[in-house]
Amino acid sequence: MARAELFASSKVKTDEIQPTLQEDFVEALKLAGISIVVLLVAAFFFSAVVGPFFALGSVEETVTDVLTRLALLILPYVAYISAASVARRYTFRATSRALGLAFSCAILIYALISAGHYLLDYGVFAPRPSLQMTLSQTDAGIRIDEVAPGGAAETAGMLPGDVITAIRRDPVDLAAFNKRLGQSELDAPLRLRFLRDGEEMQETARVVLVSDKELGVLLPGLAIVLVFTAIIVFLPGHWAPYIALVGLLFPLLIGYFWVIVATFSYRTKGLVPLDGNDNFGGFTLKNWESIFAGNIAGLEFNIWPILMTSMAIAVLMTFVVLLVSSMAGYALSRMDFPGRRFFLSFTLILHGFPAITLLIPIFIVLLRMGETPIIGDLIGFNTVGGIAMVMVAFQLPLGVWLMKGFFDNIPWDMERSALIDGASRFRAYWEILLPQIRPGLLALGIFAFIGGWNAYIIPATYSIGTGLSNLPVFLNELIDETAPVDWNQVAAVGLFQLIPIFIFFIFAQEYLLNIYAGGTKGSS
Amino acid sequence: MEIRIDNLTKKFGEVVGVEDLTLHIDDGEFVAFLGPSGCGKTTTLLTLAGIYKPTEGLIRFGERIVNQVQPKDRNIGMVFQSYALYPHMTVFQNIAYPLKLKKTPKNLQNESVRQVAGVMGIGDLLDRRPGQLSGGQQQRVALGRALVKEPDVLLFDEPLSNLDARLRLTMRGEIKHLQKNLGITSIYVTHDQVEAMTMADRIAVMSGGRLQAFDTPEELYDRPKTQFVAGFVGNPPMNFIDVNVSQSDGAYTAKTGSIRMTVPAARGAPAAEHAGAVVMGLRPEDIAIASEGEVAGEIFVVEPLGREDLIDVRVGEHSFILLANTESRHRAGERVALQFDMSQVQFFDPQSERSLLWRQ
Repeated sequence: MARAELFASSKVKTDEIQPTLQEDFVEALKLAGISIVVLLVAAFFFSAVVGPFFALGSVEETVTDVLTRLALLILPYVAYISAASVARRYTFRATSRALGLAFSCAILIYALISAGHYLLDYGVFAPRPSLQMTLSQTDAGIRIDEVAPGGAAETAGMLPGDVITAIRRDPVDLAAFNKRLGQSELDAPLRLRFLRDGEEMQETARVVLVSDKELGVLLPGLAIVLVFTAIIVFLPGHWAPYIALVGLLFPLLIGYFWVIVATFSYRTKGLVPLDGNDNFGGFTLKNWESIFAGNIAGLEFNIWPILMTSMAIAVLMTFVVLLVSSMAGYALSRMDFPGRRFFLSFTLILHGFPAITLLIPIFIVLLRMGETPIIGDLIGFNTVGGIAMVMVAFQLPLGVWLMKGFFDNIPWDMERSALIDGASRFRAYWEILLPQIRPGLLALGIFAFIGGWNAYIIPATYSIGTGLSNLPVFLNELIDETAPVDWNQVAAVGLFQLIPIFIFFIFAQEYLLNIYAGGTKGSS
Repeated sequence: MEIRIDNLTKKFGEVVGVEDLTLHIDDGEFVAFLGPSGCGKTTTLLTLAGIYKPTEGLIRFGERIVNQVQPKDRNIGMVFQSYALYPHMTVFQNIAYPLKLKKTPKNLQNESVRQVAGVMGIGDLLDRRPGQLSGGQQQRVALGRALVKEPDVLLFDEPLSNLDARLRLTMRGEIKHLQKNLGITSIYVTHDQVEAMTMADRIAVMSGGRLQAFDTPEELYDRPKTQFVAGFVGNPPMNFIDVNVSQSDGAYTAKTGSIRMTVPAARGAPAAEHAGAVVMGLRPEDIAIASEGEVAGEIFVVEPLGREDLIDVRVGEHSFILLANTESRHRAGERVALQFDMSQVQFFDPQSERSLLWRQ
């Protein structure tokens, strides 16, 4: 009985809670207002507080300026998004209501922001470089239709009917002229070549900043705002993270895209492959062929020993790092011995030690070791073993700590159980504990492999003046010794170097997923 | 296998885990180590398993001194509270692991595993991974793994505490039954005195790293030798109050404040000999609510347990826990009289906490 009443009243309540259009409108504007105020405060904070603070210390920086402008740039969009987010709750229940609400808010906000821009000479109404004349493109050049009285062009002596052909010695069309003008600063001199009555003349005009405040420019902006609002209203919520991610990754993806395009073309302009006549095309396999042919711009080489060197360093490093780290990690996690704490803190310090500072001392150590018979051939100067050993040493502190952490997470009972079942300590480590930390081993293995595969500074230093080189060292030789540098060729070698990493990751990914899906479940 | 622990002490640096423990366990006996957490019972168990090495003292399995023997050479089976199953192995591989380490031939391994799995009722789960099993099934696998190598000694480290109450009851019976059938000497660590009382032949009660008592459940319950044992064994726990026992005309009386109780001569005499106050212990089942009785009090709280009610009665500054029939429907605040059955009363020395009735 009481329950029924409770439900009845709650039902009535939900009906009552349905807000009116007016309330929604107010809520949307309130949200937009809050976001505008927050961003304005942020912009003010960066430009008027942080900026002067840095200036006090004579620190030259552009960060505060960039942040200020960024806040002002995203301000309108954040406002539209906040207003539209209120409308989103009606998107699939009352579409017309959602759109009506979002659009009316967007138009109002746009009007407010535009009014602000108009008054403050900002945004679309910001003063632009101008010569104060109207132009049109003709076959002969750019024709001057009108010259504003008292304006920059008139001052320079330009007359309607003149046909501009070039700025200084660079021939221009209307688009190029406007681009050049747009990049000019206040008072910059532009020497114009033009034809007056068939006679070639030249005059120097000085750029002025003009804010024309034509309201017509607002219409395309409004169209963009409405489309943007509609997208926000209808965008499925779970897409948002992907859109943000793609936006952030875009510059990176472009880089990869260029590398791939470049390796298959003679030359590129931006991302567009070009042939000899600057037309789209010019695809080729020659960049790849010359890798295997062993001749790039006169530099003779054999790619296979180089590849093997890279592979040997990477594999050796992965193997030794995994073995030593997991054993040391086990000992540090499970055993108590004198100096354990010291060892732990010491390795942490070693990890923070900049490896570069040790290059010269280690160089000398390796040279001396190289003079020792047998050992010198294995891990001396100018051997794969020596390079791998140094790299392993630099990787070990991280590896040992990582492995210790993983072992710490395995319950003691697991190991005790193995010992009581009849395993020796080593067998318990090998058969019971190691399988539990497979994800950790894999992660460390990937670190070590990629570290070894991409190693440059250590292989370059400890194989100086010899024929021994791995792929990164070879890549550097390519840039150093071939003149002029064929960047498409370099891109091909770079991509060639990436292939094993790709393969490694494709397999490792499957394995990783397997581990996380079912590997160490139920270990409690 | 007979186990003899003599003067065992285990220290971790300065921290004492177990101190001067002497315990002789007969062949085929089921012994429970009972005590609150941190009392050293698990330390003793792990020392028996060979995971810890004794600081002092001797441990003998039969005639063999095993102080320095590695766990793998002791032929023991152990069940852990966390089960400690190997998550990367199937149930079959888990149970077969001890045999694999013993280098038992494959066909024999197969046979033994299937036989043990059959006994434990997990024959149809052999291809699963531990992560796919319920708590009870994991428990059976762990037990199967401990049993498969036919150990001389079985060790249990609170094996039932991760199970729900109902399953705990079933497994309790199963483990006891299995142990009696196989006749393997077993040691069972628990902090749950019900488990210890129901399963064990003898209980070793431990506290603060020391052995408090080692006796059969009945002896511990009826003739507790220390106040700790009296308080720890039995649920709900024994009531303790400080009293003075005096004798007049051959009748013994225990007094405190307004409370006066007549004590049987057999129990009253040793208490009266002790000068000054003594601690009197009375079990809840020996106190009853009556319409009229020696002592009047007020009900402080009633906790219904289903079969009976647990009632806390306050008499002056003293509190008595007792059990009453649910049908009597007592309420908090009610004034009642208490009747004491003094035939089972216990007396302890307040300083040494030793029993005045049962000398060691």
